[in-house]
Amino acid sequence: MKVCLLYISKERSDDKPYFDTASIIKDLGLKHLFVSAAKRLIYENGAVKSVEKEDTYLMETLRNVMMVPLHSEEEIIYRQEILKDFIKNEDMARELYSICTDVIRKWNELGRGGREKLKQSNQAMRLTADIRILHLFSDSLGKIKTILKDPSLKIESGGLAGFRDDFMNAFPDEKEELLRDVLGDISFYTDGSDDEDEGREKIVRPRIVMESGLEDGLKFSSLKLEEVSSKGEKFYKPGSAKYKLRELVNSRTPDSFSAVNDARIGEQSQMLEYGIVSFLVEEMKRMMEEFQSFFDRLRFQTAFYLAAVQLKAQMERVSGEWCFPEVCDRRDLEFIQLRELVMALERHVDVVGNSCSIMNKDLLIVTGANQGGKSTFLRSIGIAQVMMQSGLMVMAGKYRAGIFPRLFVHFTRREDSEMNSGRLDEELGRMNRIVEQIGDGSMILLNESFATTTEREGSVIAYDIIRALGEAGVRILTVTHLLSFAKRVYEESVKDGGLSVEFLSAERKDDGRRTFRMIRHAPELTSFGLDLYEEIVGGI
Amino acid sequence: MTQEKNDEFSILNPGSREFDPLEGALFFQDLNLDQIIDKMSVRWGKEIKKYYRYMPVSFEESEYRRAVYRDIKKESLYASLTEFTKSLEVIRELRQEKEKVRIPMQKCVWHLREVGMYCKAYEELERSLEEADISSDGLLGFRKILKDILESGGYRQLAERTEAILERIRKMRFIITYDKDRIAVVPGELEGEGAYEEMLRERAGKEIRHLQNPFAADPTLTELENSCLEILEKKDPKFFGEIKRISDMNRDYEKKVLSRFEREVVFYLSFCSFQRDMEEAGFVFSEPKNCSEKNMKAKGLYDLALAMTSINTDKEIVSNDFEYQDGDRFFVLTGPNQGGKTTFARSLGQLVYLTQMGLDVPAVSANVPYFPAIQTHFSVEESVETGRGKLKEELVRLAPMMEEHQKGTFVVINELFTTAASYDAEIMGKKVLKHFTGLGCMGIYVTHLRELGGCCDGVASLRAVPDENGIPTFKIARGDAGDVSCAESVVRKYSLTYEQLKERL
Repeated sequence: MKVCLLYISKERSDDKPYFDTASIIKDLGLKHLFVSAAKRLIYENGAVKSVEKEDTYLMETLRNVMMVPLHSEEEIIYRQEILKDFIKNEDMARELYSICTDVIRKWNELGRGGREKLKQSNQAMRLTADIRILHLFSDSLGKIKTILKDPSLKIESGGLAGFRDDFMNAFPDEKEELLRDVLGDISFYTDGSDDEDEGREKIVRPRIVMESGLEDGLKFSSLKLEEVSSKGEKFYKPGSAKYKLRELVNSRTPDSFSAVNDARIGEQSQMLEYGIVSFLVEEMKRMMEEFQSFFDRLRFQTAFYLAAVQLKAQMERVSGEWCFPEVCDRRDLEFIQLRELVMALERHVDVVGNSCSIMNKDLLIVTGANQGGKSTFLRSIGIAQVMMQSGLMVMAGKYRAGIFPRLFVHFTRREDSEMNSGRLDEELGRMNRIVEQIGDGSMILLNESFATTTEREGSVIAYDIIRALGEAGVRILTVTHLLSFAKRVYEESVKDGGLSVEFLSAERKDDGRRTFRMIRHAPELTSFGLDLYEEIVGGI
Repeated sequence: MTQEKNDEFSILNPGSREFDPLEGALFFQDLNLDQIIDKMSVRWGKEIKKYYRYMPVSFEESEYRRAVYRDIKKESLYASLTEFTKSLEVIRELRQEKEKVRIPMQKCVWHLREVGMYCKAYEELERSLEEADISSDGLLGFRKILKDILESGGYRQLAERTEAILERIRKMRFIITYDKDRIAVVPGELEGEGAYEEMLRERAGKEIRHLQNPFAADPTLTELENSCLEILEKKDPKFFGEIKRISDMNRDYEKKVLSRFEREVVFYLSFCSFQRDMEEAGFVFSEPKNCSEKNMKAKGLYDLALAMTSINTDKEIVSNDFEYQDGDRFFVLTGPNQGGKTTFARSLGQLVYLTQMGLDVPAVSANVPYFPAIQTHFSVEESVETGRGKLKEELVRLAPMMEEHQKGTFVVINELFTTAASYDAEIMGKKVLKHFTGLGCMGIYVTHLRELGGCCDGVASLRAVPDENGIPTFKIARGDAGDVSCAESVVRKYSLTYEQLKERL
């Protein structure tokens, strides 16, 4: 059966991950977010009592899912609704995840996927492993069924309700019973085979009835299986009086021969048992085929939601304010008290939030004081955008934005901010690769781009590139200290026909104090870096 | 009397004489015929190699084969003969498997099955031969012999009898109960299709597979199966007794004359299937026409071995026309290295060989006279000998080819006397050519000595033709061996002309 908790009617996405996910993760600091989500907070009396070590599978799964953006509002809401259900039924998320993890661990121990290991073992051992796996399936699916049948569950989302219905259809009681019955009938094959215990009282022996014909070569052919069962009988030591007596009684069966006295026939009787059991096991495996990847899928998908639920707990720990974002037109961007989540998770404190309403704009240019929170502001939008596009909640009172599956980051990194031609070459190379990928629904976050050359040159490059991209419909959010570039764009934007631009600036109080808030402000040809210089070296 | 005559029948020659395979004939290797025969033996078995060394010894034998091959080439006959050999292949495999059988009853049944298949295969073959449009003496003769054998009883009746026994075996049903460490067998049938399987089918709500015999991997009976069989034998001793009796009565069921046909017909089929594969790949074949020595010629002749290896590569195979004009007995072929000289000489040898064998030839059309034998002399490049030693070795191989009894044969000589001084080589070459033409032989002499062209009566010059840039075209044309326009361009390419060398030095 298909598990479709991440995508509507499909198990996996056909869509590609973001371009250059490594840069997105690095520049937005998402690694810390993944780690936090992978840690469970244990509360006691309303306070965090302890934090569990991170679950690396949760971490990796969250990263993998977040790096593949959703493409429509419908898909985003589908996930949001399921996430809301999991938040309400956190125990269910945890139990499903742990059942699946458990199955996969045991299955691996039984030699799943380890073909080499299996080749070494003999047929009979492989068959025994197969039987154990069927038992594992039967038990685990039974448990999942019990969980899903719990009347106290509060399931409202279409996605989760659909999963429950599909599961009940794929593993109805009749199927469950049949599996248990067949496993019971062939229990002679595994029961007691492990321990040759002298002191045991009972052994389990088969009874098999079948019809056969002969083919041209006189071999058995067109077999029809009439009866298979296992029954316990008292164990007598071979050679003992009671053993012999029973043998004598049995030997009165007309037209029969002993299946154990002759060594070769004894071996062949075991082959016969093997043949019948493997036939039934293969049939059961075929019946359960649709569950071959079920546990992997369910584990992966519940891991995402469990990580999301834990991420929510982490947000609540520092601030308490979060919301599910809303999708709107791509030219609008609106948020209230949006905080930079990664910074908050790192510092375990609430951080300054920003509120903005940037309606019907092509371009956002943020200028202003160094160390004024410009980059943090840009990152907070980037993080929220990635989270929204994977169906997650964001740390804000409100967040409305368009969907941009082609999200690019172009951050000038500290380590490459020295000025030299090699750096500029690298930077423009990166830009070139991004431009190759531009298409419908593109957004670029530029942080101090083209800063690896002089301000004048950088401004010209920035102007040309940004103007071209903007005219091509790319949404650009840029933090820059290229003031002549910003000024030029500003002057053109007030005229008719120019790009529609929003200018923000890091707020600076009259006394020079920074508030880390962005305010609407026309760019000026002076940088507040002088202040910072004064602050740091002025006193020397 | 008839029986004796029948036993001697051969589809390879009208006198049904036994063959001596041509041992140690170098031309199979020199003409790359070995490659072709090896390729055919992948499908048809190593056994066929010997048949390609059974050369006809007269024009009549050659024609006898040609007529048979003409019949076998026809789609319907080729298909039914192929089918026939496949059935026999199966029978041979069963016979080998039978060797492993230890249990006498199983051996009897297997023998009967084999006999039944043998009879059926021949009945089927007779039907196809009746329907086929046959005109060769060989196949007409065989058809008559086969009809006689089948009509004289025996086979037809035997086929029916074995089929009836097998049918009864196939219909036997019995119930096996494995319980309390004993296995009980009761003849009879259960109600329905196996209650446990039906239960599974019903409750799983889908089709299930059938239970296979757990002992199927071993074609012989296991002790357990045999113990079951013994119980069945005890219940029906009459039927099982009959199996044994009929099987014993027909220990040796094969007819010698048929066995010979089975082996020999593969000669035609193997070549025919090879030819069809080549035709599929776009290569042309034709049936050679007989002619006098004055008119030997072909159009679109190519090297069959080279063509075979070119399949699935983008190598292009060049074909050539040639004609021995009035009075010509030998071609002297010269030209640049890697220009297609050896390939052409080989194709000429292949043409003669395949014609003698009664098969089709790799050409658009060909007229070839009958030659009593083919002789080849190719320089052994990997020979460790050099100089005097190598020359001696060449002459030792050449001497028997020049003996009196080799008159009228077809001779292919490739690069003789390369290690000798040119002056000596030229003189020896002329002597060799004069000797062969004097013996009434025909053939081709590939050499880099241009002076040999036209050296004596009956020797015509051919040359490998390069294009205007000196690049080989692999085309062969009549012409004076003195024309070496290709060489200069090669020299220029390596900057070795006088002017170039002046500049460089």
